[in-house]
Amino acid sequence: MDNLGIFLQIMFWGLYAGCIYILLATGLNLIFGVMKIVNFAHGEFLMIGAYITATLFFLTGINPYLLILVSMLALIGIGAVVERLCFRPILGTGKLNEIFLSIGLIYIFQNGAAMIWGDSWQSVRSPYEGITVPVGPLSVPLDYIIIMILTAAILIALYLFLKKTKTGMEMRATSQNRKGAMLVGIDVERIDIISFGLGCALAAAAGTLWVVSGQVFNPYIGSMPAVKAFTIIILGGLGSIPGAIIGGLLLGIAENGTAFLLGGIWKDAVSFIILIVILVIRPTGLFGEKGD
Amino acid sequence: MTVGRDNLIKYGLIATLAIAVAFPFLSDNMFLLNLLVLMLISIIFASAWNLLAFTGQGSLGHAAFFGIGAYASTLIAVHSGISPFFTIFLGAAVAAFIGILIGLTCVRLKEWFLAMVTFGFAIIVETLTVSVLAPVTGGWDGIASPRLVSPSIPGYQFIEYYAILIITIATITAIWYIMKSRIGLAFLAIRENELEARAAGVDPVRYRLLAFAISAYLAGVAGALQICHIGYLTPDLYGVNNSFWPVTYVILGGLGTIAGPVIGTIVLTVIWEGLKGSGLTFGRYVIVGFILILTIIFLPKGLVNLPERVQAWRKERGRKGSGTKPQKSIWRFF
Repeated sequence: MDNLGIFLQIMFWGLYAGCIYILLATGLNLIFGVMKIVNFAHGEFLMIGAYITATLFFLTGINPYLLILVSMLALIGIGAVVERLCFRPILGTGKLNEIFLSIGLIYIFQNGAAMIWGDSWQSVRSPYEGITVPVGPLSVPLDYIIIMILTAAILIALYLFLKKTKTGMEMRATSQNRKGAMLVGIDVERIDIISFGLGCALAAAAGTLWVVSGQVFNPYIGSMPAVKAFTIIILGGLGSIPGAIIGGLLLGIAENGTAFLLGGIWKDAVSFIILIVILVIRPTGLFGEKGD
Repeated sequence: MTVGRDNLIKYGLIATLAIAVAFPFLSDNMFLLNLLVLMLISIIFASAWNLLAFTGQGSLGHAAFFGIGAYASTLIAVHSGISPFFTIFLGAAVAAFIGILIGLTCVRLKEWFLAMVTFGFAIIVETLTVSVLAPVTGGWDGIASPRLVSPSIPGYQFIEYYAILIITIATITAIWYIMKSRIGLAFLAIRENELEARAAGVDPVRYRLLAFAISAYLAGVAGALQICHIGYLTPDLYGVNNSFWPVTYVILGGLGTIAGPVIGTIVLTVIWEGLKGSGLTFGRYVIVGFILILTIIFLPKGLVNLPERVQAWRKERGRKGSGTKPQKSIWRFF
């Protein structure tokens, strides 16, 4: 393949990897925007989502792309419980507490999953495995294209939800000014639960996409994408969803480019190098943030 | 009859020290001795992390300093032939130097960003160790490390144990002195209110860097000691688990206190080893997670705060008829 072909191939892998990061980062951003907390255990919801989809697929054989809905609904529930039992009691007691609490959640979810499903690597065979579609000079797996379309659909649905529904409006109001939102009669605690649940559902969608694309998974896959989602958020600005989309695509491409040039072992380290370089230059992140 | 708080601390301290010193005379159980050595090392590590967290900088990548200390100490010992007794401190100095470099990136960052940078730093160090530096570090396979006390000397385990005990006590005493001194006051001032600290003439950047250097140094000592004790080192040292353990120990014991890391480490080690017989592999971690979360929610100041909480609770119970406050139940869902 010529150089252009390789370049396009890397771009395409990057786009696909970016889709998973975008969903994860958008969920984190949603939660941050409303509750002003950063949940380091967000990647564990991706892992749980992946396992729910895979388990249901093994049990029923339903098309895993349909199971994304089940997985998202289940994670809305799990997210609501986690928010209610863990994060709400410590809301406003200091940012360090939130970080430490997420560590507890990481312990529980990773090892809880290992207790239920075992800790060996597993994978799912997508029903469209092996089908490729010619795109320009490339032949692209059909799964990747479905994943991109699905990601776009989920993001559009989220956008419409935030813009058009009453709850979405209340969420935006809460994220703009929590006290103001309380004053006009919004039950901010209800909004907290909904945002946290939605954020987890987006992580579950990311987990499902992880599974259907044929990537292997075990209970420990969550940490890396989660920290990468943070890098994306810092790239794109805390609380900014369009920033998360652009950041996600950039990181996906940067990662795959690095893996191609320096070897796969650098794939994880590169996002942290990007992170540290950005934070050295701008301690508040690339697009800054309003003082809180 | 109540024992005064100060007395309680004094007696507790004396009792702990007495047990620690007398242990090898009371028991010749090598398994327990080994466990005690690892626990002492964890205490140093947790105290190091605690010192940094005391300044408001919650690192999630202390495994990096732990590992750098271990690697530097071992590599110096292997290549120069100096006794590990000295290279431990040289290796830790390397960790402290790198700690300052990372501190320079971190001093201006907020809590989340700092946690992420330190977390990522541990992964970058691990990647470097197994890729570019592999010819020196042995890559994923690791390298053998000289023991602190050569196994050819009779009773070497006991010499090692006492050496590590002395280093642990020295560490805790040193931290205690630092906390009593102006430096400790400056740390406290920065944590409480950076702006006011600056107005009072405390340079936050300098003191944060100092905290980073001391903390990385002590973590490096802990790492070097552990490797000398085990005799072999692998990149697993940089693992996420190794970064999370000190956090768990300190939170359980009590963040920002001298006794917190010690109590937290002892209690959690006892629980951890006690659960070993129960046949739980992953379940033990789940239990640790629950302990951590419950501590943060219900006992935010850790176990050191428990006597006061019990006292307050008793007083509350003794005061009858004070009216039932319409308290919002924590179990209410929406």
